[in-house]
Amino acid sequence: MSVAGVDSAAVAVLLDATPRELVYATDRTASELEDLALTLGEGPCVDATAGGPVLVADLTVPECRARWPVFAPAAVLAGAGAVFALPLRVGGIRLGVLDLYRARAGDLGAEQLADALVLADAACAVLLDDATRYGAGRDDQWPEGSGLHHPEVHQATGMIMVQLGVTAAVALIRLRAYAYAQDRRLREVAADVVARRLRLGPAGIPGDRDE
Amino acid sequence: MAETPLADVFVEMADTLVDDFDVIEFLHVLTERCVELLGVSAAGLLLTDQRDTLQVVAASSERTRLLELFQLQTDQGPCLDSFRSGQPVSVADLTLTTARWPRFTAAAAEVGFAAVHALPMRLRSEVIGALNLFDVRPGALDEDKLRIGQALAGVATIGLLQHRAIHRRDILTEQLQTALHSRVLIEQAKGVLAERLQVDVGQAFAILRAGARSRNRRLSELSQAIVDGSERLAPGPAADRPG
Repeated sequence: MSVAGVDSAAVAVLLDATPRELVYATDRTASELEDLALTLGEGPCVDATAGGPVLVADLTVPECRARWPVFAPAAVLAGAGAVFALPLRVGGIRLGVLDLYRARAGDLGAEQLADALVLADAACAVLLDDATRYGAGRDDQWPEGSGLHHPEVHQATGMIMVQLGVTAAVALIRLRAYAYAQDRRLREVAADVVARRLRLGPAGIPGDRDE
Repeated sequence: MAETPLADVFVEMADTLVDDFDVIEFLHVLTERCVELLGVSAAGLLLTDQRDTLQVVAASSERTRLLELFQLQTDQGPCLDSFRSGQPVSVADLTLTTARWPRFTAAAAEVGFAAVHALPMRLRSEVIGALNLFDVRPGALDEDKLRIGQALAGVATIGLLQHRAIHRRDILTEQLQTALHSRVLIEQAKGVLAERLQVDVGQAFAILRAGARSRNRRLSELSQAIVDGSERLAPGPAADRPG
């Protein structure tokens, strides 16, 4: 948070059953603003859920009031001057949104924005790891060593979706879990899947099968 | 050789710059035209993810080995140097760069390339990525071709950042992040199609692209539909749901 030069932050996670669920907020302002967005169904964080990053340097400008007629004034009342909402996504996998709030209006600088994007990556890593027991303590491997810059990782995700009949998120988690369990690099394992040298079992991990 | 004349390429590119266009398809066509116009073997575009890392967003060929070669330049290579310096980097003979970029040089040689060029994509004072050209024959790009290459890099930048008010950082961020996100989505969709149709991922891209064209949809939209299972894009019995 201090890295990105903002005052408070919240991570909202997408769930199938409900539109948004707050997972973590650093303070009351952040949790109030998350509640607002959830209740009203509008705001930068709602837009970022389905689209790209929404960076609002000044919530009081007319464009903001036009775009979010209820949220914008309410957020200003709650003490927010600027909101930066970054989607937590890996291609077709949408995990949630990282919302950063600042009392003072103004742009994020280039470096602060870079920090914020790294934070969003880290939040993605934590969310993916939470879903697998193999992830504990491994977030140091993200994002540098994560291999997520390599096309094969995403291609393999798509292939595993079809092979196992699972969602993209589950396919990526399985792939990562397999790489951790085998102590191999994610991109190497992915390359094996793409080249059809490796096919994950139903449980994704050898010796830990469902049937 | 059926070569598209330079003027026609610029007209074609300008034509696609109308309201709702498919940025990845645009960049893909642009890399194909680079290959034709500049007489090189392969072309690719890399963009910054704003964390000072370059990522591939389009390439003239979707061969996995080639994509990897572009992506390798996250760590080292002419694209990274061009991106960092804002200057063109041209290597007429890749056998001489082993010391400068050991991993990149080895990987390029493995794919069969002898020469490489990188041209910066500039937005005013900011460099947002690089156009990368590979040739199987050694040799420099002449002055004219370098200029055309730089102009095409400029067209790519304009296409990417179609918004008029691009001086605003939030719009730049949105556009760059969207392009990179679309690319990941397309890779996932390629994987789904490769497995479902039992083809390789390069063929899967061709099928995806043909599908987007015949349906008049954006590559990223169609990819999203394939990944979330709302579209199958497969020949055979019509089925609404995957699996």
